[in-house]
Amino acid sequence: MDPSEVEFLAEKEFVKIIPNFSLDKIYLIGGDLGPFNPGLSVDVPVWLALNLKQRQKCRILPPEWMDVEKLEEMRELERKEDAFTPAPSPYYMELTKLLLNHASDNIPKADEIRTLVKDIWDTRVAKLRLSADSFIRQQEAHAQLDNLTLMEINTIREFLLDSLNCMYKLRSNLQPGATKGQFGDY
Amino acid sequence: MDTPSYFPVPPGVGMEENFLSLDDILLSQERLPVRTECVFPRLGFLEKSSDSQDIPEGTKMELPLWLCKGLYEKKRKVLSVELPKIYKEGWRTVFTADPNVVDLHKMGPYYYGLGSQMLHFDNPENPDIANALLQTFIGRFRRTMDSSQNAYNEDTSVLVGRLDCLEKVLFRSGQNGLNGFQGWEKGQAAQLTASSLVLNYRKRKLVDVQS
Repeated sequence: MDPSEVEFLAEKEFVKIIPNFSLDKIYLIGGDLGPFNPGLSVDVPVWLALNLKQRQKCRILPPEWMDVEKLEEMRELERKEDAFTPAPSPYYMELTKLLLNHASDNIPKADEIRTLVKDIWDTRVAKLRLSADSFIRQQEAHAQLDNLTLMEINTIREFLLDSLNCMYKLRSNLQPGATKGQFGDY
Repeated sequence: MDTPSYFPVPPGVGMEENFLSLDDILLSQERLPVRTECVFPRLGFLEKSSDSQDIPEGTKMELPLWLCKGLYEKKRKVLSVELPKIYKEGWRTVFTADPNVVDLHKMGPYYYGLGSQMLHFDNPENPDIANALLQTFIGRFRRTMDSSQNAYNEDTSVLVGRLDCLEKVLFRSGQNGLNGFQGWEKGQAAQLTASSLVLNYRKRKLVDVQS
């Protein structure tokens, strides 16, 4: 999976906007998007919010979790805990990038938010690597990790699956009974 | 979205080899010390040090892996294969002590592959060899993971120089994940770039043809 595909999935999340135009309710296959009235906030998916913002037809309101104090608390919590704490949003990395690139004028303290989110990301990825290492070291067959987001899983997926394959094959060397008898081919 | 134009056959780690894998073909070129158990008539030219027409019984020589595998038989009438020194007791203790210190590329770039193939030759030390391979892999995993996931846009030749071929493949997939993520974060995913297939074919552009 590509990071761009993960970003595509992230664009389904809802965000609040304040339009400056009016439009009746629109009926799309994915669901209805409520009537748009200038000055009244409405929930729309991120793909629509970004499109309207680029055409200068709306103002995007930052999501609840995108606040400096809240993110600082989450960062401290993440650093204290050994396990994964619930992420600000299942797509926090992608939403931060999208919203801060297109709508940074609507979001207060954009740079601090970017730094805080990067800190949270770094802590979580470090924990992920630590847990992958202990998984391999103890040769477990099964592990459960809660509260991981798709982007984090995606960056480590290829590497971890390849190493687990190698480890499986090296382990099968220890029980040679099943694979003996290949000499017939020669 | 950046898929290569062909999918290379991966090496068959473990006791089987993948027939079509280039890594496995190169691996089977490695030479092993053997001792002949019977006479090889008129094959004296293989053994450079002696001048006789045939190879007498009990000669110690080196043969490549593919030949050893073909000639080896359970009843031991043709060959007996010795372990190369890196799979012997002495080196095995070095590996279990600290796997990260060893330069696996110098030890034979196919440490894991060759080790797995050695298990075909019915050595009494087989379980120990298999165990040593596994433990070395596990011990070096952390170092490989950290270096592959943290080295972005740097010269990785120092890091990769000490890795075995199998670990190099893993390093590359780690780098893929990292580069994909960093490229996306910088916004390269939204830019149109020429596909690697087209660049490889080096098609002439219309501008060059016209002028």
